[in-house]
Amino acid sequence: MIWEILEAAIFPGALFILAVSLFYEWIDRKFYARLQNRVGPHLAGPFGILQPIADLIKLLSKENIVPAAADRFFFTFTPIMAPTLILLACMFLPIAGLSGLISFEGDLIVLIALLSIYTIIVYLAGEGSNNRLASIGATRAALQLIGYEIPLTLALLSAAISAGSLSVAGVLEAQIERGIWFIAGPQVIGFAIFVVAAQAEMERVPFDIPEAEQEIVAGWEVEYTGARLALFRLSKDLELFLLSGLGATVFLGGSAGPVISGLEPLLHAVYFILKSAVVLLIFSIVRAVFARLRIDQVISFSWRWLMPLAIILIILTEVLA
Amino acid sequence: MGLVEKIVRKCRARSPWILLFDTGACNACDIEVAACLTPRYDVERFGVLLKGSPRHADILVVTGPVTRQARDRIIRIYEQMPEPKYVVAAGTCATSGGAYWGCYNTYPGLDSVIPVHAYVSGCPVKPEAVLKAISILVEKIEKGEV
Repeated sequence: MIWEILEAAIFPGALFILAVSLFYEWIDRKFYARLQNRVGPHLAGPFGILQPIADLIKLLSKENIVPAAADRFFFTFTPIMAPTLILLACMFLPIAGLSGLISFEGDLIVLIALLSIYTIIVYLAGEGSNNRLASIGATRAALQLIGYEIPLTLALLSAAISAGSLSVAGVLEAQIERGIWFIAGPQVIGFAIFVVAAQAEMERVPFDIPEAEQEIVAGWEVEYTGARLALFRLSKDLELFLLSGLGATVFLGGSAGPVISGLEPLLHAVYFILKSAVVLLIFSIVRAVFARLRIDQVISFSWRWLMPLAIILIILTEVLA
Repeated sequence: MGLVEKIVRKCRARSPWILLFDTGACNACDIEVAACLTPRYDVERFGVLLKGSPRHADILVVTGPVTRQARDRIIRIYEQMPEPKYVVAAGTCATSGGAYWGCYNTYPGLDSVIPVHAYVSGCPVKPEAVLKAISILVEKIEKGEV
């Protein structure tokens, strides 16, 4: 019992996930900067590695402002729910082992549902600010959900169909049994759809229209300051960890790899971090290369290209398996 | 208590987010300040991010002479920022009115409207001067002198 609490709280649970997701934000910012021939965060800690922590602590020490006209319940509730949902979804990922802290048949569907609920929380956060700029950002975030949710679900489900199991651990196990990662095969289309749809889920360029700085100031998080903004930024980092980890687990064989018995949790975690760092670097390259799409372009792209590709992928998976 | 305060001050100094506001400038100072974000000068080394909302920013960088029309807006933006907040007046127009000193519709410098913590002279400012101003302000924040 005590052991399980320690596992859920420290390794590979909350503290470990938080630390690694802050590290991933650093990788993302540094890599993005290097791609633009800049230096990136440099002064906060060696190589700027403590920059995300400095941002968090600074935000926690700011004044707490609640706009007079904002809905108090949503204003307080949504910044707490957002990182909690994503942290709960992270518990399904196999990090220090071949199955997550929570693992049951069907948890892939629960994970996708948690991601959709996160976007609804974002919508509530924007509407609860009682600010017309935030309303526009929130509506755009919800519209984006309509676009990318089905291709994301289908890409993950096609891997699940190929594996014959609806749990993340089952998909990982199928890759171990076959001795080959899912990405080498028709699932490479699934990986491409996953990368595009995950960028849209995380509201990163080219899909950051809900937060279009030049247009609607800061989108749905325009009225949030201090600790609430810190929680939203944390939820963005956790989402980065979750989606790069999910891509690594489902398509690149997650935490599987040659192990020395006795050092298993450590080695599994190392493989997981290495493979999800690869997916993270792909996300950063996409972020650096593309410009922002308009909201109507996002929806028409999702339904004209991603959806048919996802359906073709399902058909291919059924035919070839 | 001393250690926590020291850590918090250090974090505030390592992560100064800025908000640019133009109160009626000719845009040259805006271009030069925006040039600080380009790869040549790269102000993100200091942890500086350009934020869109005053509620997210720590440092308000104001360019241009404060015109009569912009005065209420800049006061409102300054009041929307959460404490602790700092203001940098970029350019001679913001410092003292510059080329528009004594005009019927401008105020003599930004500090007649909101409290200012750093002044950068130049018409327009050099990006190196803005970087130096940010690093001096950041040092003062870290030592707790501002």
